Amino acid sequence: MVTQKSPYPYWFVLPAAIVFTVLFLVPTFASFWFSLTRWDLFSTQFIGLENYAQFLREPFLIQGTINTLIFAFATSATKTVIGLLLAVLLTSGIWAQGFLRTVVFFPVLVSTIGIGITFAALMHPTNGVINVALASIGLPGPGWLTDPVLALYSVIIVDLWKGVGLATLIYIAGLATISQDYYEAARMDGATRTQMFFRVTVPLVRPATVTVVTLSLIGGLRSFDLIWAMTRGGPGFSSDVLASVIYKQYQAGFYGLSTAGNVILFALIGLIILPLTVWFNRREVDL
Amino acid sequence: MTSVVLKDIRKSFGSLEVIKAIDLEVEKGEFCVFVGPSGCGKSTLLRMISGLETSTSGQIVIDGEDVTHAEPSKRGIAMVFQSYALYPHLTVRENIGFGLSLAGRPKSEIATKVEKTAESLQLAHLLDRKPKALSGGQRQRVAIGRAIIRNPKVFLFDEPLSNLDAALRSQMRMELTDLHAKLGATMIYVTHDQVEAMTMANKIVVLNAGRIEQVGSPMELYNNPVSPFVAGFIGSPKMNLYEGEVAAAERCGTYGIRPEHLILSKSGGKWRGQVRHIERLGADTVVYLDHPELKQIVARAPGDFEVASGDEIYAMPMSGKEHRFG
Repeated sequence: MVTQKSPYPYWFVLPAAIVFTVLFLVPTFASFWFSLTRWDLFSTQFIGLENYAQFLREPFLIQGTINTLIFAFATSATKTVIGLLLAVLLTSGIWAQGFLRTVVFFPVLVSTIGIGITFAALMHPTNGVINVALASIGLPGPGWLTDPVLALYSVIIVDLWKGVGLATLIYIAGLATISQDYYEAARMDGATRTQMFFRVTVPLVRPATVTVVTLSLIGGLRSFDLIWAMTRGGPGFSSDVLASVIYKQYQAGFYGLSTAGNVILFALIGLIILPLTVWFNRREVDL
Repeated sequence: MTSVVLKDIRKSFGSLEVIKAIDLEVEKGEFCVFVGPSGCGKSTLLRMISGLETSTSGQIVIDGEDVTHAEPSKRGIAMVFQSYALYPHLTVRENIGFGLSLAGRPKSEIATKVEKTAESLQLAHLLDRKPKALSGGQRQRVAIGRAIIRNPKVFLFDEPLSNLDAALRSQMRMELTDLHAKLGATMIYVTHDQVEAMTMANKIVVLNAGRIEQVGSPMELYNNPVSPFVAGFIGSPKMNLYEGEVAAAERCGTYGIRPEHLILSKSGGKWRGQVRHIERLGADTVVYLDHPELKQIVARAPGDFEVASGDEIYAMPMSGKEHRFG
């Protein structure tokens, strides 16, 4: 018989522990270390917090941080709202429900870079399909990606199109767990469809909302590939986010500096997500 | 005065007819129980009265008004669900006041009515709790409170006690009967448990495969069942029912005798059988006999009846207590 103190069971943990250590723990601690060094991939020189000081002195850091927050909160909020509305629509028994679910989810499966390149072409100020179509009905199309005021929001719209399918899928799963009895009880009480949505669906689908908000917010805060594929942070620095600022430093060979930027981004994500998670968990409902 | 009238009500799902031409009248203030095995259509019938399910044809009249096509909330009814359907994110107070709040009633009116209702159900001290912090019986009472506060003409109950344990079930049976007496409202109650039907109802409606088998008071159904189905469904342990030669000898299609109407004796009787199994219930002893022709005879004997497995004993039907069908 195996006693409680026997090391035997722990041997089974070992393979997973090794993989976790090599792939996750070592890189995490290594990045903290490299962020404190001047690093050219071959040699390191410890310079304390100099990288952090320099990163925080970046002229476009404030703009990048604001853009990151706008991008994350705008995409997260719209995915949450539109995802829920689409999920309600796609579980209401409408015509071709299964096909439409596939259509909504399809963009999630396509490569982000592919989507970025395609939409950059579609949004071209003169030759893009969108502006050509607008021109044909006599409307002057804006410079979707060339107008510094508009560029970030154009990328946000594409990110919403790409990501809303996943939010919808999570919400469809969440809606499936709500017992029909709640709706029938509300119907007996004379609830309108709008009242049922706000007073039954929204509160009871909360676990799905927590998942959608958390995932989309983290995804938005560290978003890079779509922005890079569509605008490279431009025009100028108007659509730069923290991740693209960091990438530019990597490109320029400032590895220690960019690693410090990543640690700061990590801390920012933690500062936003942790309190949010605590708040969400405090108000958890059991279905 | 009639409270609920069903006229030639039918319901089909595709080509499957689940409710077949039901006519029924429930009097004002009656406690009417729909009882039957799973799939007999009792819940569907209740849902049709509530308006949650539409009828394929026929007419539903509640309190003199044709409500066949009316919305559930316009029928003057309230329903207690099997799952209670209490909103987990709302407190007891908010759950009970949910309907009034939907209707946009003033807050002070809701508060007064909720407190009055809670008082009458001994829930006043639980008003600020969430449903998950309540016991099964308390949840049940909150669900009833949500129904009472609407002041309905008819209460509908869909197997409301099936999630409770046996002890609580018998307590809730009593509380529901008291509540019925206190409110004097018409109640329609669905169950598959014949004990609930017998103990609570003024009127029992036995349903089988979408049809009404028999309507009557508990004792009418017990004493004069019209079919072997009703005879077998009402009463526990169920009636001994025999077909074939035994029935032919009694000049009927099916011959029935209740376990409590068999006299067991070691000296003599109509049928001689071997004791296979004995259930000691305290006040009663249920004896299962093997009989070559009848296969099984179930008899209810006094609690202290002396018998052992393997004994050969006799069973004698009490005269006048036999049932002959068809």
